[in-house]
Amino acid sequence: MAATFENPADLEEREQMALSTLLKRLGDDEFVLAERYTEWQVRAPSLESDLALANNAQDELGHARLWYDVLEDLGFKERSLVFEREPSDFRHSTLVELPFEEGNWADPILRSYLYDVAEELRLEALEDSTHPKIADRVRKIQSEERYHLEHAQSWMERLADGDEGHERLQDVLDRLFPHALTLFEPVDSDVEADIVDLGLRDATLEELREEWLSVIVPYLESLDLEIPEIDQTDDDKLEVAVDQEMLPDERGRDGGHTDAWFDLYDEFTRTYRELGRSETTKIMEKPNEQ
Amino acid sequence: MNVGAVKERAGPREFSPADDLPQEYREAATRMIEFHANSEIMGAYLERPFIRQAPSIDRKLAFSAKVQDEIGHGQLLYRAAESLGVKTREEMLDDLANGDGKFLNCFHYPLKSWVEVPMISFFVDGAAMRRQATLRRTSWEPYAHAMDKVCFEEGFHVKHGEDILKELMTGSQKEQQMTQEAFEEWWPRIIQFFGPTDDDSTHHDFASSVGLKQKSNDDLRNAFLDQYIPKAEKYGLEIPDEPRIRERDDGTYKVEEGDLDWDEFFTIAKNEYEPGVGQINGRKHAQEAVQWVRDTIETDTTAASGHAPQAAD
Repeated sequence: MAATFENPADLEEREQMALSTLLKRLGDDEFVLAERYTEWQVRAPSLESDLALANNAQDELGHARLWYDVLEDLGFKERSLVFEREPSDFRHSTLVELPFEEGNWADPILRSYLYDVAEELRLEALEDSTHPKIADRVRKIQSEERYHLEHAQSWMERLADGDEGHERLQDVLDRLFPHALTLFEPVDSDVEADIVDLGLRDATLEELREEWLSVIVPYLESLDLEIPEIDQTDDDKLEVAVDQEMLPDERGRDGGHTDAWFDLYDEFTRTYRELGRSETTKIMEKPNEQ
Repeated sequence: MNVGAVKERAGPREFSPADDLPQEYREAATRMIEFHANSEIMGAYLERPFIRQAPSIDRKLAFSAKVQDEIGHGQLLYRAAESLGVKTREEMLDDLANGDGKFLNCFHYPLKSWVEVPMISFFVDGAAMRRQATLRRTSWEPYAHAMDKVCFEEGFHVKHGEDILKELMTGSQKEQQMTQEAFEEWWPRIIQFFGPTDDDSTHHDFASSVGLKQKSNDDLRNAFLDQYIPKAEKYGLEIPDEPRIRERDDGTYKVEEGDLDWDEFFTIAKNEYEPGVGQINGRKHAQEAVQWVRDTIETDTTAASGHAPQAAD
């Protein structure tokens, strides 16, 4: 099976669908998260934190570029993936598209924490992917993501230490947590099963979610933050049966998005539409040639 | 050292925090570097929305990096200004928020569309490059040192700006026309970038006599015109009729200063031009919204006796 993904032209429809679905999940999450992070440029609490968040934004954008580039093997182009795609065809989790309340620094920090833990686990599950390009790119991305997690945790601890910071973190957690759960929602359950069956990723979404909870729950509790609606059973095993009712109405993965996403989409496609563009400019070499 | 001794010794990178410098020098240098640092911040503030509006992922990445670089330049420059012992960074940033801090004329105008982006990132940044290159020989060593890094990075920004201009001017008729219109709107402002003619410049004489300023406004402006008029024409931009520009016998250019709107320029210089006031207040508002975080950090670092975690910056 390992050989099948070596040559994208030979893929059957089922394999193509599994591959493109996986890559869109990955690329769209990174792209949209980066869009939101850039909003903090020139608006962060200090010049130093401004520089740090700008770094994260560029890292995530670079990762989106890496994943979209693998999609180009399947005949996609940047214009069809980003600037001309219908907004309802984007597959990112709603966690990354939600807008910030102005000045609420606890939001990008907590959002980054919830996302980066999931990202770390997801990348681990891709390390031995049967698609050699995916396995290869995971390594590059991992080195950068580790720093993001460190950055988020360091800020979490400082904010949780003060009354106002703690209160804000709790409010943001209440608001973001249901959306963070959509990170593990399926685009389509048959296709998600294929992703694992074909060895593209070696953990199911349920397994990733369980691992994610086992990391974030004790950590958030150590900062005296309460996780909404998660019960812990007697034997210290986390109650992870995520009730459908805990999920938000819009789950992103299935194409359902919050209103904020459509506004964001209008903004980032604005120039492309106004100038009547039909191509996107590349100024950097393709990832493989770097 | 008194002012006379400073004037006598004044040379490139001559003075450092180790020197005992007169208040007049310290204040003049602070004013100049603070203006420069503020301009980096307000330039970044103006450009940030175009990270989102950039029409490709690569352009978006490059533009995010540029805005980040400018914040980095601001950081470096405030440090160079702080080292004069006149004002702290906090005071300078507060003054910028409350409307007392001064910054470049071009960053008081709104930036509405992508076609205007190269007006800043090619022409204004190109003009800035010319001035900054001369400041590598300024007499305040920390300022000159900051200029080494700033000039290096600014070179990439100008190249990227030039590439954006070239793309627009080789694009559709519509793109070319929109870019020409943006150029006509921005051209007089760009020429005013270098400030009033030397005869009307308030601070020129002293700054020049103590080696802070290396070239006069007029010299810089003329050198810019010599270099950028041919570049604009090369990309198919037509130079507007006004302000009138005279070509000298040797092929160099000179602008008819009287054709420029100096009332507007001096309104801007007082931070009283309406769109600029909107931008100052917009940034102030954003800064106030995160004041609670700065308060938290301050308490935190005091309590932990300066042991702030490295990753949290």
